[in-house]
Amino acid sequence: MNAFIVGDAELCIGCQACMVACARAHEELPAKDLNDQEIPFHSRIAVVNVPEVTVAIQCRQCEDSPCARSCPVEAIVQKDNHIEVIKEKCIGCKSCVLACPFGAIKVVEDKTESSGIFMNTSADTGQSRVEKSHFVVDKCDLCADSGAPACVAICPAKALYFVNPEAIQQKVEDRRKQNAGRIRQYRSRLTCA
Amino acid sequence: MTSAIISIDKELCTGCGQCREICPVDAISGTPDTPHEIDEAVCILCGQCVQICSGYDSPHDTFTTSRAERLERRGMLQTVQEPLFAAHYRGDIHRVIEALQKPDTFTIVQCAPAIRVAIGEEFGMSYGTLTPGKLSSALHALGFDRVYDTNFAADVTIMEEGSELIKRIKENGTLPMFTSCCPGWVKYMEDQHSDMLEHLSSCKSPQQMAGTLFKTYGAKIDKLDPSKIFSLAVMPCTCKKFEAERPEMNASGYQDVDLVITTRELAQLIKHFGIDFPALGDEDFDNPLGCYSGAGNIFGTTGGVMEAALRSACEILTGTPLPHLELEYVRGNEGVRKATINHEGVELNVAIVAGLQYVDGVLEQIRNGEADFHFIEVMCCPMGCVSGGGQPKVLLPVQRLEAHTGRKAGLYSHDESLAIRKSHENPQIKKLYKDFLGEPLGHEAHHLLHTDHSQNRRAL
Repeated sequence: MNAFIVGDAELCIGCQACMVACARAHEELPAKDLNDQEIPFHSRIAVVNVPEVTVAIQCRQCEDSPCARSCPVEAIVQKDNHIEVIKEKCIGCKSCVLACPFGAIKVVEDKTESSGIFMNTSADTGQSRVEKSHFVVDKCDLCADSGAPACVAICPAKALYFVNPEAIQQKVEDRRKQNAGRIRQYRSRLTCA
Repeated sequence: MTSAIISIDKELCTGCGQCREICPVDAISGTPDTPHEIDEAVCILCGQCVQICSGYDSPHDTFTTSRAERLERRGMLQTVQEPLFAAHYRGDIHRVIEALQKPDTFTIVQCAPAIRVAIGEEFGMSYGTLTPGKLSSALHALGFDRVYDTNFAADVTIMEEGSELIKRIKENGTLPMFTSCCPGWVKYMEDQHSDMLEHLSSCKSPQQMAGTLFKTYGAKIDKLDPSKIFSLAVMPCTCKKFEAERPEMNASGYQDVDLVITTRELAQLIKHFGIDFPALGDEDFDNPLGCYSGAGNIFGTTGGVMEAALRSACEILTGTPLPHLELEYVRGNEGVRKATINHEGVELNVAIVAGLQYVDGVLEQIRNGEADFHFIEVMCCPMGCVSGGGQPKVLLPVQRLEAHTGRKAGLYSHDESLAIRKSHENPQIKKLYKDFLGEPLGHEAHHLLHTDHSQNRRAL
């Protein structure tokens, strides 16, 4: 079973610190400053702040991943405890973006590679050929490379949970036992009656 | 363009309240999930809200204001790539470029001590990397006619403030005396505790002393018309923009410091002109007003002004130098530190406050006659200027301590490596007094380097 990160709408203060931490955690070039022109500041988690609710939304690492099933080039795969995008295979077709029921996938500029596609610039501007940026999709990978999810660690309101299969299993067992207790009371009342 | 020095962009503010919590003077108000507001009458412009803010122009959301428009409004260059956060300060970089391009303008720049241990971070260097040589090279490359230094003026401050302290002690003047280098602290005293303004040293801050000296002594040296000088200060501080604009800061006959930009703005300027900062060689600051001692350099950290003052004052009072220059007992990170110095029969009680939220207790003790301090250093920001609102933004709060500690260590190591470590031994300081100022606290010094804080008493 996959692990996942989930936000608690009761606790979230909407500060976006998780987004900043996420962007920082996934800088693929050497970590430089905020104003570095080479590093895209991409966050894979997004805080929704609307009048009704404030909460962070990110990939749920679905077991039957609609994103992976919709990918025509098998660029989205199961890896360890999560669903991962193989950037090198991604063609930027956006099928997964449409398939994701959470809105957790985003098309982003990838500055580590060139696209090899040139833009048709108008002749009268006299500009030389401009290469189009390379785009791929991006989603939460549970910070698999660094051990612990950066967003969970940074959240000042403790509003993000890292839920792993063991925790799910434990929760299910606990709930089952709680419920069994309730049924026992119910049964005993039945016999009394 | 916004005119307020510190403001919160309503469109980007998520109402998380982190700025409200960090504000040392409770100037920020707002309810959860709604944009917060700054009360300009209370705000001391320290910029800690700018440092903590995490609400930004994320690509996950759409905004009615375009990025280009937002940059324009904030006075920032269109080449700036960084995410734009809700809490921000007024950018002034366009005026620097204008001045550099005007042919008949003589441009002079000064950098605060904390810049040389932080600007490297903007170019991928680790926290606290010491780069005075590259900083000077970058400023020369940008085309400044003179690259002088705030550290020189910090040495002047020690001469004046140390002499003032000795005078107050000898002549039973108002004690304790507070430092007056931190403009947020001075503003706070004026706004909230104007009954105690006599306790503030009458010294101007190093930035303002430098500004005045550049347009007087500096102009004389280069045989310049001071009206042709454009004097820029690069500061780790957002409140320095306010200080430079104070109407009384014109002892030279002109606005002493024409413009203030922050460490981050300087980095943006260096990038804008395509200067490869890490690849730069080391150049010296220009003489004579760029010559500094280790004492002037440690002004950038909490306890630094105190240490620099004690190094000179103890020696001047007794005629005997301190046995050790590293005064470990004034170094540290606590909000309030107290120490008693015994040197050759002179006993001085001092205190250091780091973080303005800690100062009220000390002020209360003084009002109640429960404090017998002679000298108290106060800095608004958590570790002094190294952690100022204009310093490189530390994106992850968990790294704040590491960043501030690194920058602080950088300042102390620079001090240790310098040949001259006491302000009164700086040869250019001696020359300044001999050729131009006369005596510390003398007529000329009083006119140029001191200010009457009581004129700025605000109605309570």
